[in-house]
Amino acid sequence: MTLLNAKAPYLKKEASVSSMMRDTLIALAFLLILPVVRYGVRPLVMAGMTLLVCALCEIAWSLLQSRSINASDCSSMVTGLVIVLLMPLNAPMWLPCAAAAFAILVAKKPFGSTGHTPFNPAAAGVAFATLLWPQQMFAYFNPSAHEALPAFADCNVGTVPSPAAVLKNGLKPDILPMDMLWGVFAGPVGTTGILVVCACGLYLFLKRTANWEITACCLLGAALMAALWPRIACIPLTSVKYELMSGSLLFCAVFMLTDPVTSPRTWLGRVIYGFFAGVLIMLFRRYGAYEQGAAFAILIANAAVPHINSLVCGDRRWGEELYEE
Amino acid sequence: MILRHGIKLDQQKTASLRHKIKDLPAPEETEPPKRLPPRKGELNAAAIIAAAQGAGIVDEFDGVPLFQKLKRLRRLKPNMIVACCFDEDPCTTSAMATLRENTNAIISGLVLAAQACGAKENKIAVATRREAKIIHKINSQADLIFAGERYPARLLLKKKLFSSGKNAAYIGAQACAALLAAVDDGDLQTSAVVTVAGDGVEHWRNVRARIGTPLKDLLEFCGVSEKTTLVVTGSSITGKAVTDLNEPVSAATRCVIALKKAPKYREYPCIGCQRCAHACPRGIVPWKVHQELLSAEPDPLRLTNVQKCIRCSACSVACPSGIDLTGAVQKAAHLKKSGDFLDIT
Repeated sequence: MTLLNAKAPYLKKEASVSSMMRDTLIALAFLLILPVVRYGVRPLVMAGMTLLVCALCEIAWSLLQSRSINASDCSSMVTGLVIVLLMPLNAPMWLPCAAAAFAILVAKKPFGSTGHTPFNPAAAGVAFATLLWPQQMFAYFNPSAHEALPAFADCNVGTVPSPAAVLKNGLKPDILPMDMLWGVFAGPVGTTGILVVCACGLYLFLKRTANWEITACCLLGAALMAALWPRIACIPLTSVKYELMSGSLLFCAVFMLTDPVTSPRTWLGRVIYGFFAGVLIMLFRRYGAYEQGAAFAILIANAAVPHINSLVCGDRRWGEELYEE
Repeated sequence: MILRHGIKLDQQKTASLRHKIKDLPAPEETEPPKRLPPRKGELNAAAIIAAAQGAGIVDEFDGVPLFQKLKRLRRLKPNMIVACCFDEDPCTTSAMATLRENTNAIISGLVLAAQACGAKENKIAVATRREAKIIHKINSQADLIFAGERYPARLLLKKKLFSSGKNAAYIGAQACAALLAAVDDGDLQTSAVVTVAGDGVEHWRNVRARIGTPLKDLLEFCGVSEKTTLVVTGSSITGKAVTDLNEPVSAATRCVIALKKAPKYREYPCIGCQRCAHACPRGIVPWKVHQELLSAEPDPLRLTNVQKCIRCSACSVACPSGIDLTGAVQKAAHLKKSGDFLDIT
């Protein structure tokens, strides 16, 4: 029996970066179930191709830098899956792949991979795709038409305006409340199933992988904006309902804003950050050129994070006076 | 949000608490233990301290001789004395088992210790309400307080009592029992209760071993496997690895953990999850210290509170990125004290 001399601690840890990323990945994978059941294997093929592109980009970057390939933290897979879930299902296959390649090769790797990224890579990828190909990004097929979507080929199906686009035009979306909760309306793949997003969010908050303050404050900020300055002629509560449930607001608040690397590190900072992001998302919806500007809002909020961090004093320097030994 | 410091660890105490404390058979040629000469005169504070000194009792929680501790406490005049009958380490149960089997002895020993240092109140600290129920079944008079299961429990209890205006002193469970034996019967402290645990041993047990027994005997008694590669004494969080199994059991050895595989941590960059700051019971923000040390010129003003570190390693355990934060804080405290980085030219 030869004994080693290892360093403390000798415990198995409850959480590591890879286990946190795995939690997020599981939550994101749950969002794919509903689309797969409804529209066939196309979402799975799309996700698979994007993840493949992510992995290839990681490997390519590692080879370029002549470093060892290290993808054990699954962070690029999370980025890839978030991008897929923010695309319309009838988008051409190359669209999420291009966005993912941009996210990994431009927004993530040059800054030094996980832990050092100033901007959320997925948000950067989606913003890139939105600016370059807005037609493809905002053309949604009609989910109530029951048309079969091909697994690989490009879709040539009729498109309908999403509730976000209807709101942008100052009209009230014509959708049943139950359909809205279960996601039977036009919109990005993963963001329409409001109930599933809420359940996944709850899972992440209970696992302490994501911070609930950010999501709660973001939704609060957006709801306040919607109630005080409604875009459609109705009572404030109806406006809040449609604003929160349409578009990618809820999905972004749960999965993208809560990324610990790009969010502030103090409790008060996270509250400010969430509120700021929520207000920004609503401003982009109101005055922006596109029906959804959540990705841009997240990038701007990310840029404000260092300032929030230095504004809010993190040390308990003047806090409780501790006893002396 | 209610900020609760410390970290919740995965408790693995049931296996070793299932059985009673077993005596490790002593080698045959040992001579019978000596006894203290009978006490003359009344039982006052000085007599108790003299008995603790004569019996060679060591407090198992900090390894300090009990008589030194009692003398110091006599000067400091605490108004409360607490017997620590909980185990911070997730698989150690030696203090809990000692309390369950010698409840009355610990209560009497604690009263003696309180008399020796002049404390008015005495309490027994247990981990949970469930444990308290078990103790109350044995002795319904026991005066209990709860330390909770969050690591580091002892420090969090200290903090709780301090904030409620109590100036409390702390003493180990086995030291209490040994103090009673020394005062009543004149017994020397010759044995210690040690928990043997980990996946490298077959039976997780609490063993009463003679002080000075090699760890080898203890591990063999519990059925150590040949595949064991790591033996740790003290605690699985702050303990140290043993490379020579002839090392003796001391009064401060509370657990021996045998592991088949040393846990491996991959080191990732800090992701800013704040778990270390929540874990720290002393108000240090370890990730900030780590970040500051990585910068080219660490600013001493930004290394806040580092001198308060008690090396409980809660931050290192909490960190999902596997960064050695305890080491960073230690280094910062050292830097701050020495002032090496001040450029006075």
